[in-house]
Amino acid sequence: MSTTRATPAAAPPTGSGGRSAGPGDPDPHRWRNRLYRFDLRYTPYLLVAPFFLLFLVFGVFPIIFNGVVALRHWRLDDATLTGWAGLANFEKLLTDDDFWNALYNTFGIFLLSTVPQLTLALVIASVLNRRLRAQTWWRVGVLLPYVTPITASTLVFAAVFARDTGVANWVLSVLHIGGAEPIDWRSAKWSSWLVLATMVNWKWIGYNALLYLAAMQSIPKDIYEAAAVDGAGVWRQLWRITVPMIRPVVIFTVVLSTIGGLQLFTEPMLLEQNAQAARGGANGEWQTIAQLIYKVGWKDLNLGYAAAMSWALFLIIVVVAAVNALITNRLGGGKR
Amino acid sequence: MGGFGARWVRLVAASAAGVLLVAGCSGNPGGDSDSGGTITLKIGIWGDFGINDLKARYEAANPNIKISVNTGEYNAQHEDLQKKLIAGDGAPDIAAIDEGFVIQFRGQADKFVNLLDRGAGQYETRYLPWKWKQTLSADSRTQIGLGTDVGGLAMCYRTDLFQAAGLPTGRDQVSALWPTWDQFIATGQTYTSKTGKKFIDAGTNIFNPVLGQQPVGFYDQGEALVMEGGPKVAFEVAAKAIAADISANLPAFQPEWNAGFAQNAFAVLACPAWMQGHIKNTAPETAGKWDIAAIPGGGGNWGGSFLTVPKQGKHVDEAYKLLEWLVQPEQQIEIFKKVGNLPSQPALYQDPAIKDFSNPFFNNAPVGQIFPRAAEGLTPQYLGRKNGPTRVAVENVLNRMQTADLKGKPLSEAWAEALKEAEKAAKS
Repeated sequence: MSTTRATPAAAPPTGSGGRSAGPGDPDPHRWRNRLYRFDLRYTPYLLVAPFFLLFLVFGVFPIIFNGVVALRHWRLDDATLTGWAGLANFEKLLTDDDFWNALYNTFGIFLLSTVPQLTLALVIASVLNRRLRAQTWWRVGVLLPYVTPITASTLVFAAVFARDTGVANWVLSVLHIGGAEPIDWRSAKWSSWLVLATMVNWKWIGYNALLYLAAMQSIPKDIYEAAAVDGAGVWRQLWRITVPMIRPVVIFTVVLSTIGGLQLFTEPMLLEQNAQAARGGANGEWQTIAQLIYKVGWKDLNLGYAAAMSWALFLIIVVVAAVNALITNRLGGGKR
Repeated sequence: MGGFGARWVRLVAASAAGVLLVAGCSGNPGGDSDSGGTITLKIGIWGDFGINDLKARYEAANPNIKISVNTGEYNAQHEDLQKKLIAGDGAPDIAAIDEGFVIQFRGQADKFVNLLDRGAGQYETRYLPWKWKQTLSADSRTQIGLGTDVGGLAMCYRTDLFQAAGLPTGRDQVSALWPTWDQFIATGQTYTSKTGKKFIDAGTNIFNPVLGQQPVGFYDQGEALVMEGGPKVAFEVAAKAIAADISANLPAFQPEWNAGFAQNAFAVLACPAWMQGHIKNTAPETAGKWDIAAIPGGGGNWGGSFLTVPKQGKHVDEAYKLLEWLVQPEQQIEIFKKVGNLPSQPALYQDPAIKDFSNPFFNNAPVGQIFPRAAEGLTPQYLGRKNGPTRVAVENVLNRMQTADLKGKPLSEAWAEALKEAEKAAKS
């Protein structure tokens, strides 16, 4: 930036740029002024433009195009089946068992993962916010799961929760929990949801904890001291002081994990032994919406219908994220 | 934030640098660029087509050719080929297609090189007539593929496990145990009660061979779903086997199934010829412990593939040359000996190299006699356009009967579910 501004100042007004202003220019400083004002006003836009151009090409265009596809018949296994479908794809959605099953699964896994995730993150953050030995070690430690590639950790968890050879069943049998038969984690909704929620929580608790921690650092310590003098315990301090004071970050994490949770894809895909099937269990026990979209689009090769599903998911996420943000705002004591 | 902040920034910077590094490396141009005049031919297959063994020989004879074999999951490979055909780009130079999917692709003959234009017509007389017709367009003018192998059916069994259960181990004696599927299930119950171990790998591996023995499969020639015929018979036999509690519940071609071979989790396996290679690759340590008997209910077919040349390939001429080479008797015999895939050219069955061949992995079973006999007596089913997805849907219902919500439920309920899922697949 400095070069843009420096050039006219450093170069004498005889430079080609200056000359173009014309010898009949009544005020030699005018050109420089104009350049300065242009710089002040438009350079920021120029600097942010690359992001927005890329966003238009790779963000807005696909979304709009997706909307167009959603209104068409488009099948990859039959090139002759094209043309406008109107709202047929969306109507099909309303009576599609698979879609409602996937929606139910997605919300189930979402609740099982988001609620404990954010609660635990809050607790961990407030612990990390105290004076601890080897503080940095702990803080980096909670972030490690986030750094692990999601595919790698999912494959490890899938092995842990294997029916015949998994560590989870071995631990349960050592502790004498459960029946004689090993639990087939993939065969029922509750168990497969639990497995998936475990994966999601493991990955994101540390990440959210660090976000909370960063926000907590800005709360003045004397507020806590005053509260302690007034007799407020640790929990009371957490809910009455910490949470209201980091409210914006809490809302941010709630919205973020809503979006992430409703788009859950990699974990359910890789939990399946034959990941390619995208079935989410023999009877779709844990098939999420994102997975169903993949299956309809790339396995049934029905792109039009898959596009309609993506739009439906988009709308659902917008609504849920807005509601969540509103509730969190209220809970945190906000008045907006 | 204190010291933590600075470290945090460093951590982020370091990982960002790492991401950039990786991104930079992956910007390497596509692998099919013909550097130095050599051409890379891509072949898309699943399982083992014996090509890996022949690759080196062809490359040595044709120094300008490199062969790159992409082995994927069975369903995924077909779906992928379909996508590439419509997208107009990205299909391999030679694409393998299984008989279960071949009708779907035959309907898109315009997207494949017409092998008749390349002189493949000379091979017609060599092939089993029905095999030749499976890839031939309705007007007989376009041939999209050349047959590689045919399935044929037999029953592989573990002699060591049979002995431990006090069952006979000789081929003929074992075949005599189960002329019918009912007797087969009864044998399984004997085995399970004596050893406490399961007899078969999964219900689906009863369903598929029984379905292969029926005159009509999932679809009739008019592409209508006919579940009440063959599929119902096969479903009932499979359900009976599941109810008899002789199944190890290991869905085929998945990691736990593969592990099951080594852990002696099951004692028999329905064996089309191509399964020999799979067993050998999956559990090499079980060499000599297997043998091959007749399948209950006689003959039948399961699987068998074709090699095609998609039009969008960049090296269509070279691809056809390689394809032609692969179906020559010498190579076909070699593949049969190495991985067990039975050639679809009946003249070869008389060749001593096949006729007298016995597979040492399978306790020297005379596979050169067993599988040709099965193949020659075959009347193949018509497999409709949606055969692949329909089979997967019904297999899923069978899996649910063994592990999930349909476990212990009456047959009528499971069958209703199979009907529903099959109809969904037919319409998907």
